[in-house]
Amino acid sequence: MAVHTQLLVRRYLTTRIIPLIAVAAVALCTALVIIVVSVMSGFLENLRNSGRTLMGDVVLSRPVQGIPWYGELVRDLEALPGAQAASPLVDTYGLVRMPYPDGPSKDVVTAQVWAIDPESFSRVTDFDRTIWWKPAASREEALAMGEDDPRRSIGDGPLNDARAMRDLATGRPGALLGMHVSVANQRQRDGSYRPRVAHWWMPRHEVSVTLVPISERGTVSQSNSRTFKVVNEVMSGVFQVDRNRVFIPLKDGQELLRLDEAPVVDTEAEPDADGNYPVVGTSPARATQVLVRAKPGTTADELKEQVEKAYEQFWLRASADPARRTKPPAPESVSIMTWNERLRDLIGPVEKERQMMMILFSITGLVCAGLILAIFWAIVAEKTRDIGILRATGAGRGGVMAIFLRYGLAIGVAGALIGTGLAWVVVRNINDIHHALGERAPTWAWAGTFLLAAFAAAGAVRALVRASALGTLLWSVGALALAGVGAGLMLHQGFLMWDPAVYYFATIPSTMDWAAARVIGAGAVVCSVLGAAVPAARAADIDPVRALRYE
Amino acid sequence: MPLLEAEDVHRTYRLGRTEVPVLKGASIRVNPGEWVAILGSSGSGKSTLLHLLGGLDRPDAGAVRFRGESISRFSPRRLDRYRNEHVGFVFQFYHLLPELNVLENTMIPAMVGVGRLEWMRRRGEIRERARALLDRFGLSHRVRHRPAELSGGERQRVAIARALMHRPDVLMADEPTGNLDAKTGEAILETLAEQHRAGLTIVMVTHDQWIAARADRIVHLVDGRVA
Repeated sequence: MAVHTQLLVRRYLTTRIIPLIAVAAVALCTALVIIVVSVMSGFLENLRNSGRTLMGDVVLSRPVQGIPWYGELVRDLEALPGAQAASPLVDTYGLVRMPYPDGPSKDVVTAQVWAIDPESFSRVTDFDRTIWWKPAASREEALAMGEDDPRRSIGDGPLNDARAMRDLATGRPGALLGMHVSVANQRQRDGSYRPRVAHWWMPRHEVSVTLVPISERGTVSQSNSRTFKVVNEVMSGVFQVDRNRVFIPLKDGQELLRLDEAPVVDTEAEPDADGNYPVVGTSPARATQVLVRAKPGTTADELKEQVEKAYEQFWLRASADPARRTKPPAPESVSIMTWNERLRDLIGPVEKERQMMMILFSITGLVCAGLILAIFWAIVAEKTRDIGILRATGAGRGGVMAIFLRYGLAIGVAGALIGTGLAWVVVRNINDIHHALGERAPTWAWAGTFLLAAFAAAGAVRALVRASALGTLLWSVGALALAGVGAGLMLHQGFLMWDPAVYYFATIPSTMDWAAARVIGAGAVVCSVLGAAVPAARAADIDPVRALRYE
Repeated sequence: MPLLEAEDVHRTYRLGRTEVPVLKGASIRVNPGEWVAILGSSGSGKSTLLHLLGGLDRPDAGAVRFRGESISRFSPRRLDRYRNEHVGFVFQFYHLLPELNVLENTMIPAMVGVGRLEWMRRRGEIRERARALLDRFGLSHRVRHRPAELSGGERQRVAIARALMHRPDVLMADEPTGNLDAKTGEAILETLAEQHRAGLTIVMVTHDQWIAARADRIVHLVDGRVA
């Protein structure tokens, strides 16, 4: 690389406005794509993490009828080399009668009810971490809490009640509601929650849960209801879960769905004097799901293989046992899936959506290349005489081309770095930006913008007096644009761009996808060099004699 | 042996669909240390002949020889090297690079001609040479100025310093005083005369016979041919 190339590129970059515009264009395109991809990647990552943290690594499932002898199965599974813990649960849908509004008529909501054993469930999932109403775990956490955050004033009571899933003071069964099940909870800007009305703070209240048992023949039986003390609320971060899920104790869920242990009677025998048939055995309690967590170093797929074999052995053993009247379902009737497979329907479209977004927004890279091409075309036209001068002093076509290619490279690298920095700032603060958009603009913002508009208008008048057409035009456009922005800020009432009901999560992912940023930044540099290549080749082809005569 | 020779060179330019024959068999010889003025009216082909002699262009027919070797047959790379090592150009409109300061403009031929390693090795020497040239032309106080900050005469003196930077065998001057007032033009001619007295070969193109009279020999170009 000749020395003059480096010197000219540096001077062309630092003494002109056009390359700054090109750098700004590349930076904005880069930032735009990185922000979109980072948010989408974060969203996908959240989805994957939430799947694993909410359901463990592998899920055995047999809805409605459930799996009998699940206690023995859990022990078998926990003995697997790749399993860390296993937990049974019953999942179903039901109705929850909420404690609001005030008065005799209360709201009733539908919910996905998970009846769990809190101790083993906490070992398989991150349930303990999702319990919301608990004191701060550290001084920093306490300082981060707002003055009126109810968590500042509560002791360990709600946390201990949640871990036991009962009101420890009275012994009554307890329920935990997803944070968004109750409309009384209102999310604050700092991510904390306050009850909309002070006395609607859920842990003080009771809810009534109604479940409908379904027989093995698929018929609906009489519904059963039970009242639970709301001992706490959970915040998983997955809006769909926090909006719909209610946790109750496993035993209560089994009883309400008639999946608990029950006597088996011989209906073909003679009934006794009271009309009761003789009891010939016991039908064991059932769980509709068993969640299994993998040991560190074991993948979900490896664990799934072990679980499939373990279930087959469990089934063979239980089926061959003549003492058991109730047999576990055959392996083909039980679904065994990894968390990834269970979320496939959700993750698949999101992955596709992310790819599509990357493709769509990568088109901005082509726009960027086109913009660079146009700008460089203009630069080459403007520098035609310089090209002639350089050729006269002995510079070859390659040297001339290298100047403009290197110029494009410098613009691409500067734009990619600035764009990546800009994206990093936006992604890190995306939730604050979103909150700001959701609120009315502060007075200083619109008043300051109007003040700037007034300065620009004064500049326009000054340029008019000096008879500068360009100055008058630019200052006038600036004044009008600023006045427009000021009016927009003044009239802005706030809008919700990220609806958690649509995007599953309560907050926008704010982690930079550095792998994607590297690829996008490199793409921006390549696009810039490609955009510069055509004008550079044109510059190299310019006849030096014509270039020297160029006016 | 002449230093530079054009023999029966033809050159035609295409302007849209029209072909314009500019040189129609021009011949010229330039001996070492000679100052030759090519005198002709506008459109006579004098600048085209200068460009052919300087290796900026190639003839359609005929030959241009430097020390007996036909530069018309040089590869593009060798022709670039010929311009860089053996020729220095001075133009009517100075043709300085506006983004570079006076010192950098002067050093450009050296920058173009050396690789990075050689530049690192010879940077001090090159800079000293450029400063010495600028000092000789009374521009030592202007080394950090941009061309836009200089007068016409100063710009042309920078252009001459640039042309002499690489110690060329021949200086090609295309109407070097054409854009200057009489007094400044005279000063520039005196600068060229000084270089000529020091042994430099000069080929100068002009339409002004009084300016041409400063040369050792005048070659009249009329309608693409040497008269």
